[in-house]
Amino acid sequence: MNVPRALQPLVALIGLAILLLALTTIAEAVSARAGFLVERQIVLLVWLAGLVLAGAVFAWIARRSWRRDDSPSSLWLMTLTMLALASPLALTLLQHPAH
Amino acid sequence: MGMVGRRVVAGLLILSGLLTLGYLGISSYIAEQLVYETPKPIVSTPANLGLRFASVTVPSRDDHISLKGWFIPGVLPDGRLTVERMIIVVHGTRTNRESPGDHLLQLTGALAHNGLGVLSFDMRGMGESPPAPLSMGNLEQRDVLGAVDFLRTGTPPFPELGRPRVIGGLGISMGAATLLLAAAREPAIQAVVSDSAYADAAPLLEREIPKRSVAVVGRIPGAFAPSALAMARILYGVDLFDARPIGSIAKIAPRPLLLIHGAADDYVPVSNFQQLAAAATSPAKARVTTWLVPKTRHAQAFKNTGAVYVARVTAFFDAALASAGTGA
Repeated sequence: MNVPRALQPLVALIGLAILLLALTTIAEAVSARAGFLVERQIVLLVWLAGLVLAGAVFAWIARRSWRRDDSPSSLWLMTLTMLALASPLALTLLQHPAH
Repeated sequence: MGMVGRRVVAGLLILSGLLTLGYLGISSYIAEQLVYETPKPIVSTPANLGLRFASVTVPSRDDHISLKGWFIPGVLPDGRLTVERMIIVVHGTRTNRESPGDHLLQLTGALAHNGLGVLSFDMRGMGESPPAPLSMGNLEQRDVLGAVDFLRTGTPPFPELGRPRVIGGLGISMGAATLLLAAAREPAIQAVVSDSAYADAAPLLEREIPKRSVAVVGRIPGAFAPSALAMARILYGVDLFDARPIGSIAKIAPRPLLLIHGAADDYVPVSNFQQLAAAATSPAKARVTTWLVPKTRHAQAFKNTGAVYVARVTAFFDAALASAGTGA
């Protein structure tokens, strides 16, 4: 399936979120069998590395899409992507303002 | 919407991406700091109180973590030792079975000197027990259940004294919450003393996290509290939202329950005590006694009242365990 270029960042964002949920589910299943994950430093490092990697993948896709499609629809789709990316953080901050 | 609009959207996209990434990353780090802490060493033992004891290894129920503990026979007025009535003593968070902050070893010794045997142990991740994430009672209840199994079926450290006839429990702070969770599942715990328990861990943590300071990050902004709790679940399998004694305390009835709380507790507010008391007394057959200790801060009731505390607790166990069957 050929995803329109302007839609690629949003699709990538959703894909990365699904991948994150899938990995979490697998990790929980492993944790449930093992009791818990003891190697805490490794868990944290792998997770942070995964976040950076996911961020880099998303940035690369967004940049490529942005450069190759300058139509008005791409601007609106990029705005939508930005809102999707910011919404979880914005909702959290609205519910729990920093002290 | 020309080039300027495109640049604004691009800038906002980069900004929101960086903020979201940073937020998730920092939350993960806080979660790691929240659920793990360097264990505190044990300095004194029951021998310092003139008591005979055996060092034991107690496997937790289900996940079989080898917990380190002391098995201390009770001392009868004539000096003979007894394990007929055993009390499982459960310490609070980020401490160990000695717990100098609330004088737990002295309390343990006082119980033993009043004829009650004691099994005290380090919960997972604390004291001399193996590393494990802190879950505010959710996983640690397996440790208490393991202690019950040890008393019922484990190798007796003093075989000449036989096996316990009845089992009770006493917990302080998180130990109390953990004991309440365990007792709700395990009828072999026939009497419970809960000192300074919380009703629900999540609101407590959400309030306490911003007061804490962690390495690198410093003081934690309140906005990170919910995500840090969520990350603890995702990364370490620790569901801090599920550590809720309020949800199961009613199941302890009709077994006797003594709820103790400091009236000046600013860590676990008295409202927790009131909520737990209300829930515990909801069954018609409930046998709940409450003691709100005046001018007392968190987990300091024994430290502040000393002999009065011991007299109340031993009188409670004497009455509660005398009427209990031979279910242990």
